[in-house]
Amino acid sequence: MTTTLGARAPSTLTFTQKLSRLDYKASPYLYIAPFFILFALIGVFPIIYTLNVSLYDWHLLKGQGDFVGLDNYASVLADPFFWNAFGNTISIFLLSAIPQLIFATVIAAVLDQAIRARTFWRMSILLPYIVAPVAVAVIFLQIFNQYHGPIAGLLELFGLDPIRWSFDVFPSHVAIASMVNWRWTGYNALILLAAMQAIPRDVYESAALDGATKARRFWSITIPMIRPTLIFVVITSTIGGLQIFTEPKLFDGRTYGGGDKQFQTIVLYLYELAFPRRDFGRASATAWILFIIIILAGLINFAISRAIRTGDAKPTRIPRVRPAALITPTRNGRRA
Amino acid sequence: MTTSRRAAAIAIAGAAAFALIASGCAASGGGGASEDGEITLSITTFGTMGVDANYEKYMEENPNITIEATNLEGGGAARDDAYAKIAAGTGLSDVVAIEEGWLGTIQEVSGSFVDLRDYGIEDVKDDWLDWKYKQGTDADGRVIGAGLDIGPQGICYRGDLFAAAGLPSERGEVAEYFGGADATWERFYEVGEEYVAASGKAFYHSPRFFWNSFVNQQEEGYYKKDGETLNIEGNDVLKDQLAMIVEAENDGLGAGLPGWDVGPEAKEDKYATYMCPSWMLGIVQGYYDAGTTDSGWDFADVLPGGSANWGGAFLGVSEASEHKEEAAKLALWLAAPAQQAASFELAGPFPSTVEGQELVKDSTSAFFNNAPVGEIFAARSEGVIAQVKGPEDSNIQDNVFGPIFDRVSQGEITDGDTAWKEAVKLLNQLVG
Repeated sequence: MTTTLGARAPSTLTFTQKLSRLDYKASPYLYIAPFFILFALIGVFPIIYTLNVSLYDWHLLKGQGDFVGLDNYASVLADPFFWNAFGNTISIFLLSAIPQLIFATVIAAVLDQAIRARTFWRMSILLPYIVAPVAVAVIFLQIFNQYHGPIAGLLELFGLDPIRWSFDVFPSHVAIASMVNWRWTGYNALILLAAMQAIPRDVYESAALDGATKARRFWSITIPMIRPTLIFVVITSTIGGLQIFTEPKLFDGRTYGGGDKQFQTIVLYLYELAFPRRDFGRASATAWILFIIIILAGLINFAISRAIRTGDAKPTRIPRVRPAALITPTRNGRRA
Repeated sequence: MTTSRRAAAIAIAGAAAFALIASGCAASGGGGASEDGEITLSITTFGTMGVDANYEKYMEENPNITIEATNLEGGGAARDDAYAKIAAGTGLSDVVAIEEGWLGTIQEVSGSFVDLRDYGIEDVKDDWLDWKYKQGTDADGRVIGAGLDIGPQGICYRGDLFAAAGLPSERGEVAEYFGGADATWERFYEVGEEYVAASGKAFYHSPRFFWNSFVNQQEEGYYKKDGETLNIEGNDVLKDQLAMIVEAENDGLGAGLPGWDVGPEAKEDKYATYMCPSWMLGIVQGYYDAGTTDSGWDFADVLPGGSANWGGAFLGVSEASEHKEEAAKLALWLAAPAQQAASFELAGPFPSTVEGQELVKDSTSAFFNNAPVGEIFAARSEGVIAQVKGPEDSNIQDNVFGPIFDRVSQGEITDGDTAWKEAVKLLNQLVG
């Protein structure tokens, strides 16, 4: 009670004053409440509830059974199909995240230049992101048709054997990763572009006066100055990549990641456990294992990014602009 | 409902909604009634069941009813959809089509569906083939599904390609060539070898279909008669058939194609036969433009190894429906002989009622070279045994033997012993 407002004796306040004081104190919480209420309902509660389910023998249709402790976790970790899904997920993730980030950075750097019809180009790169994943899948399934696709036609032209896109492990990962890349490269490019736009132009100008080439300016100015955003993009891509579901599901809609599980990802494995196989307990355990894997991946990312920072000889004194933070909420659960 | 059940329902509903959004399906709303007695009934079907042939007529006869229909692409999608909604305790359509392959699982929670005896199914009980009616009845004697179609099987074949390869092409002769009533699988593969030798092309598209037909032919399939004990390990009948299929694949009889979506390959003459349960006719026809009559496809009254039933659906009424009375009335009407006959005319699933079969007995299919399909299916359904399906039946079909056949077709497994060992290994990993 040391503020000027509180210093007055409460009894002397009129009703309107009381109301206005309440408004002053409570309103901010009310304004932010919807997010937290929603988050608690559709974020926290399912996570905790999943933990509960994962400790029981839980049949999808028949419901809760006996308490089994960590048995579900043990059986998932002992299941070769889980490790198959884990390997596929990592493989698809690497095949998508790495080219995606490289291309996104390059595209952003190009769009950061003074080019004609800038807005048009910037809008265009976001176009793939707007297209529904189902439509993307229809297009890519045509391209990656082992027998009739354009790639098959091209290979035939050169007398080469067709690539068994949906049967062989690696080609199927490439096909799925290309869907992911097509959809997300432009999106990431826009985020990186926003970060690049925030770099003061005079830094480039003085570097140019000092004789730095374009490439040198890109490596020594652009990249270090967008690093926080790069880290953000890497982390969100990791989360999205590990949760990949839609693309492999649509790649062969009748199976849960290929007839021989060639491209079954962790979430598809989870889905198969939960629905056709009706083992909700083990599916929930898988969800938690994935959750832990994502946290671990996040920590590794964090550690690497710290290492990069400390490894940097000259500590940058550039204001840490984080335009990407504005976009954060929509990134939650991408690709889910 | 206890608190924890409610919480479970909410959580699972969330998961189900997630699954639906993720797979891009539109959730169909439950029914709703307004004050003037207008009722909306939702119905979910899958594949080419032909049930939609009857909706208009029903709405004309019952002006207060609006039917809101959803047709899912495949049986697997329909199964996942139904499971998720049963688990959530909400969202199930008023009328739900249930496939024979997962009926066993539904029976475990048959309380999710109404007992159709309360809505008069017993009065028309004699309409159905005995075994079909029995399949729709659970262990407590509750009738949870009104039989829709059954899946007697014949062989779809390309008459033009057979003729080009110097084989008989007229459907009676073809049936005889395969061995007629005494047709065996050995003979089937022999004919295949002849065809391959003469034409240089594959004989069939994928061994999955032949395998399924074979399994359905046995007294006991993946499960013993009790529906609980697995019948795979140590089963030499299945093992020998698998070895025979591997042999056929090694000889180039198969086109190495995936199990289902092979329309373009059919048009490119990549294969010449298809195992055709009744519901498959609509699917094959669907590869071509509507009204096509010169596709070359024909349909022969023969099945190696004798008759077998593969698949067939039931209509159940959700216990959670707000209009059980009306929904049950609709389900029973759709499953009645006249409507079964109309569905057959539209899409080919063969009626499961005696009178329905009578109604379609003169029916022919212009697409299949005017084959007397009604007559052939009636003949093909004689001697069918209703095999007991276990809870993991469709899982075994899709996830144990499916991958094995893919590997065999792609030349990665080339001997029967390995194929069998791999299958048993998968079985123990998946069902245990």
